[in-house]
Amino acid sequence: MNVQTRLSIEGVTHRFGRVTALDSVSLAIEEGELVTLLGPSGCGKTTLLRIIAGFINPSEGRVVVEGRDVTGVPPHKRPVNMVFQRAALFPHLDVRANVAFGLQVAGIRGEEADGRIAEALRLVRLEGYEQRRAHELSGGQMQRVALARALVNRPRVLLLDEPLSALDLKIRLEMEVELRRVHRETGATFVYVTHDQREALALSDRIVVFDNGHIEQVGSPDEIYHAPASPFAARFVGDANVIAVDVVSAQGDRAVVAVGGIHLDVASRVEVGAGPAWLVLRPEVVRLSSAHNGGLRGLVLDSAFRGTGFSYRVQIDGLAEPMKAEIAAEHGAPFSVGDDVSVMWESSSCRLMPHTATNVDYHQSDNESAD
Amino acid sequence: MTAVEQSSRTPAREGSRFHVGPAALAIPAALWMVVFFAAPLLLFFVYSFLTARLYAVSGPLTLEAYRDALTTHINATLALNSLVVGISVAATTVVVALPIAYWLRFAAGRWETVVLFLITATFFASYLVRIYAWRSILGDNGLLNSGLKSLGILDQPLGFVLYNRFAVTVALVHIFLPYVVLVLYAGFRPISPALVEASQDLGANAVTRWRKVILPLVAAPAATSFVLVFVLAAADYVTPQFLGGTDGAMLGVRIQTALTGAGNWPLGAALSFLMLATFVACYALTLLLLRSLRLDRVRFVS
Amino acid sequence: MSVTQRSPVTFVVTILALVFLYVPLAVVVLFSFHATGALSFPFTGFSFRWYEETLSSPEFRAALWNSTVVALSVSFFTLILGTMAAYGLMRCRPRLRAPLAALFFLPITLPGLFVGISLLVYFARLGVQLSFATVAIAHFVFVFPYFFLIATAALDRLDPALEEAASDLGASPGTVFRKVTLPQVWPILAAATALSFALSFDEFIITFFVIGPDSTLPMFIFSKLRRTVDPSINVVSTLLMAITLALWAVAFIFVLRAARGRARRADALLLGGAS
Repeated sequence: MNVQTRLSIEGVTHRFGRVTALDSVSLAIEEGELVTLLGPSGCGKTTLLRIIAGFINPSEGRVVVEGRDVTGVPPHKRPVNMVFQRAALFPHLDVRANVAFGLQVAGIRGEEADGRIAEALRLVRLEGYEQRRAHELSGGQMQRVALARALVNRPRVLLLDEPLSALDLKIRLEMEVELRRVHRETGATFVYVTHDQREALALSDRIVVFDNGHIEQVGSPDEIYHAPASPFAARFVGDANVIAVDVVSAQGDRAVVAVGGIHLDVASRVEVGAGPAWLVLRPEVVRLSSAHNGGLRGLVLDSAFRGTGFSYRVQIDGLAEPMKAEIAAEHGAPFSVGDDVSVMWESSSCRLMPHTATNVDYHQSDNESAD
Repeated sequence: MTAVEQSSRTPAREGSRFHVGPAALAIPAALWMVVFFAAPLLLFFVYSFLTARLYAVSGPLTLEAYRDALTTHINATLALNSLVVGISVAATTVVVALPIAYWLRFAAGRWETVVLFLITATFFASYLVRIYAWRSILGDNGLLNSGLKSLGILDQPLGFVLYNRFAVTVALVHIFLPYVVLVLYAGFRPISPALVEASQDLGANAVTRWRKVILPLVAAPAATSFVLVFVLAAADYVTPQFLGGTDGAMLGVRIQTALTGAGNWPLGAALSFLMLATFVACYALTLLLLRSLRLDRVRFVS
Repeated sequence: MSVTQRSPVTFVVTILALVFLYVPLAVVVLFSFHATGALSFPFTGFSFRWYEETLSSPEFRAALWNSTVVALSVSFFTLILGTMAAYGLMRCRPRLRAPLAALFFLPITLPGLFVGISLLVYFARLGVQLSFATVAIAHFVFVFPYFFLIATAALDRLDPALEEAASDLGASPGTVFRKVTLPQVWPILAAATALSFALSFDEFIITFFVIGPDSTLPMFIFSKLRRTVDPSINVVSTLLMAITLALWAVAFIFVLRAARGRARRADALLLGGAS
């Protein structure tokens, strides 16, 4: 199959008054892809989605759909459709009339319309709900109708604005399965906005991580998780310890860093020079042991049962924040609050990131609000 | 949840700008209001600085009308009457409407809609009819006196009930009460019963509850409806004509007769704008008071 | 759902207020059916004679007709201009919104006396003959703020995402208004129109200054009130109340319709959250 660029965002900048919501963002989305725009609230992801839909005209830059520049084209003349956060079903119309809305406006009637509506409702498994109105549907059903209402128009790009955020966790998990199925069956191009990293990891072909109006990283879920490009991406996607360290010496893919008063040998996938840097480390690679066999010394502050194991917070001398550690355990807690422990990790399982202009002010508490 | 909704709604409004010049839709109504509301008031204001001719005015600009308005003794008496009636009506309606609105919100249960409908329905009983009704009740041969007489309780009519400030106040309370109940009910609506329960749970008795929780929460609608009723009642010119007698005459009647009876437009205008200035001062004072108590914008979190 | 408390004091106040509000009106209605012309107890028997007399009076008929024509034209203009203004204002720049809303809202805070006399002087200055037209113009100024407030509140309650969804699905701004906005707010607009009619139909304070030689129903009552005790006032008053109340009831039904499917019907009484 010849893969083409379905949607491209070219140098889009948007300012609300003096606030820059998006800062020269460029992105190309291929045909049939499911791309999520992921980031905390206020990071610009929703603004970008609304720019693609045409509700906002960007201050600078272009939106191109299949080679056609649609910047400035009003939303009702764009070949894209949107699924809104809280469904936005028309309360005065029943399910069928909601789904028929776009076809009707486009002048598509009769058998073709009937066929497409039936097909769309079958796709979202809502046959038999035609006569219901929005208030007679559950939250999950409403989002299915919204999905059918958008897809029935065969949009070149389907935009989804946090469609699951108002749903209960259980329904949300079911809807994720449905969304993957619908995406598979239609082969449509999805641009999906969410602030839920778990959802993004579960759904996406590619994830675009946003922070503060710019793109932090673009990559497959696997890449983003295992090779975060920045402390922010590491913390926002999955959980991570981000530790301020000083690089003492670096050579090729090895470096020696000073942390908590001792020197450690770590792997570095990028060139780093001597000086301050960030050390990023997933909680599941951290190992604890009660024996004093080198490594960092720490005190267990908190312990929580997690089903497959325990998660700990360990206070380490010389570190600003407690270290998070996930320890698999089958029977009983291996450590208790107040225990003295040694903290270690494989030198290849952490990532060293040099300070850059965008991450130098990074604070760990930035994304407290994210799920 | 609230944070998410907030953040998604704000840009939604922001983004609804794709219509071409939506403000243009408001132009016809705005023109109407400018030509038939703002312009007449402005002209009337100018008239207050002119010299009176019979049903006309002439130049040059002078403060004669204002001097006349402020120095005539009768005007002071009438103004005082207006003030007393206005304040009594406003205070009575607000004090009576507060418990009603409270009852509707927290205690009415399934009667809420019915009772609110009954009260607001009287809002639509004609203004003149109510004045007339009170005259028929309170008059010398009115229903109150004739009823009491036929029951043998009285042989002399109760003289004090008609043609005085009391009668005017009663009728005006009757006119404005439904309105204030509606406004205060709207003010009570966003208050969750949990707030009242929380104050009870924390040990507040009924008095403390009203003083510390309920009144501060409805202070803004209560104060605004107080001022609005004060203004509308104090400027009434029909009720005192029929129920006020000489004792209950008010400034509004004087303004009306200055215009339509005596044909002295500048005097009527001067009196009107003096009254208006007082009203504006009242609005401003109320706003300042609410602001200083930080009660002007109570945001309810749900 | 709503938690019901016991509150005996406020309950008694409410009951007393209902009595206070309804007794005078009941008296007027009762005596409109009085067999004799007397306006005092004891009540001596029912009769429709005052109704027959009043309804056949040409003066009354003229006043009724005039009031209807004025109120119809006022409510029509308010509906059109008010809806346009409310819709436009909701969508325009925030900077324009405040001054325009103030201009539309201000007449509500001003006693009718001032509106009436300033218009009287204004019309005289412009040499405009007082007529139904001047009455209708004045009524519009008086009624418009109410309509505007209700319409704005109703439009404001709409989820902006619905209009965006329609637009996203290909509907032009006109189609969005016709197919999405209007179907959601029309019951409230209809109610507000009925309210406009009722307010205009019953208006006296401003009308007194700007009416010419003709009469409206409230003017008719006023002239009778001035003279002496006339049993027909009871009849005209009862009819006037019946008409405005009927309109209020119609408005109420429209609003209940709009509230259908929503949990709280009492909201309906606030006419879509106005005031």
